[in-house]
Amino acid sequence: MSISSTLGGRRGVLAAVATVVLLVLGGGLVARALTAPGPPPQPDSSQAVAAPATPSTSASGRPTPATAPTAAEAPDPDFGVLMAPSAPVALRIPSIHLATKGLVELGIGTRGELEAPKDFQRAGWYAAGPTPGEFGPAVIAGHVDSTLGPAVFYHLGALKKGAQVMVDRKDGSTATFVVDRVARYPKAHFPTSEVYADTGGRAELRLITCGGDIDRRSGHYLDNVVAYAHLVQGA
Amino acid sequence: MSITTKLGTATLGSALLLTLGAGMAQAATVADGNTMATLRPVALNGVKASGTAMVTVNGNRIDVTMAASGLLPDSPHAAHIHFGADARNECPQASDDKDGSGTLNTTEGGPAYGPIVVSLTKTGDTSPKSGLAVDRFDTAPGGKISYERGSITVSPDVAQAITDGKSVVVVHGVDHNNDGKYDGDTKSDLDPSLPTEATDPAICGVLAAAPAGGVQTGGGGTSTPDNTLALALGGGLILAAVGTGAFAARKATNRL
Repeated sequence: MSISSTLGGRRGVLAAVATVVLLVLGGGLVARALTAPGPPPQPDSSQAVAAPATPSTSASGRPTPATAPTAAEAPDPDFGVLMAPSAPVALRIPSIHLATKGLVELGIGTRGELEAPKDFQRAGWYAAGPTPGEFGPAVIAGHVDSTLGPAVFYHLGALKKGAQVMVDRKDGSTATFVVDRVARYPKAHFPTSEVYADTGGRAELRLITCGGDIDRRSGHYLDNVVAYAHLVQGA
Repeated sequence: MSITTKLGTATLGSALLLTLGAGMAQAATVADGNTMATLRPVALNGVKASGTAMVTVNGNRIDVTMAASGLLPDSPHAAHIHFGADARNECPQASDDKDGSGTLNTTEGGPAYGPIVVSLTKTGDTSPKSGLAVDRFDTAPGGKISYERGSITVSPDVAQAITDGKSVVVVHGVDHNNDGKYDGDTKSDLDPSLPTEATDPAICGVLAAAPAGGVQTGGGGTSTPDNTLALALGGGLILAAVGTGAFAARKATNRL
């Protein structure tokens, strides 16, 4: 056995190992590219406009006031169903097969924007705002995808008007919302007031994720998809 | 050896390409002057009410909307924005009950939220002087308040305090004995002609900047170009495998 043939043998083994590694890496990438779910669904424009407001009825579960105002006083503002504050723990949207537990708390970032969850597979809620079911706009955000594939809110763009959204809360209750509309906005023209501002009394919910095309330079999506919903039942 | 080096380079290269999607932070979005407060029951006072308030600051003018539910119906509810440079700038806690009465009155809340800086009256003056102008506050028909008032002038200090998240919205009026009206022997610490029920703090919330602009909720892993990239990269690696495989086969043959 000469030194050169030993070396040659070692190089042969190295090459064989390299072959296996390359095949696994390459094959994996090709397989993933071919089986990748493709771009996430986007809401079509018909979903962006709410259906004409239907007068809320006692069917909404709102308790009838014991003393109905009879005089010509200012009419009772109708806030619909309201729940006591309680943090959200899980989110369920059967129509798009979304169910996620362990919602994380989100704060505000350095530019005043809502922070995104650090974990791609977890949704988060804006913890300084109202809890889902409470007065005002509760906000839940989640990633549409990670750098590798679909994330927790991948299907959010497929959500339709009228769909039910359930939020399970820490106190054991469930807040049930109905989707009013789903819209897509360029982040450069994000309707801050519409999404985050006071709802005039109702308990509402905003679900936010990314949409549209991706900016290759920044690595971020150019649009946000926002679903607007209001509370119909709290128990 | 050279193959090992090439393999290393290829792996490093693919790792770099794969992380391209992760990207950097996007350009700033401009925050407007929206602040919001979630109004919740004041400690010890046992009011099952809640609400929201939103204050938009434009220079020295503020626009206010407020909604609340569960308050004592058809009774005036004084509502204010409080701020004190020396205050804790928060809602009062049970430990603020200095006289040990088991409830919190407005003065006991002072160390938490400071003095009145804006009176949220429906008409007329909005200065602290109108703090107890009971005839000009919302009377909460059905226990509900739906309030809106624009262009209230405030001092630069107050505007700044609101923007900085240091001001507190308080709605007063607590029916401690649940008899449907403000009464009782204890007089208000603010105005002895009123029972303390009329002025005790009911619900409270700190005004804080609402989020502004879009949210970065994507990694880009399912956007189409990445698939093309993965396909090309994977194809390249497989081609390389053909090369190293041939080399290994040749070496194996040589040994035989």
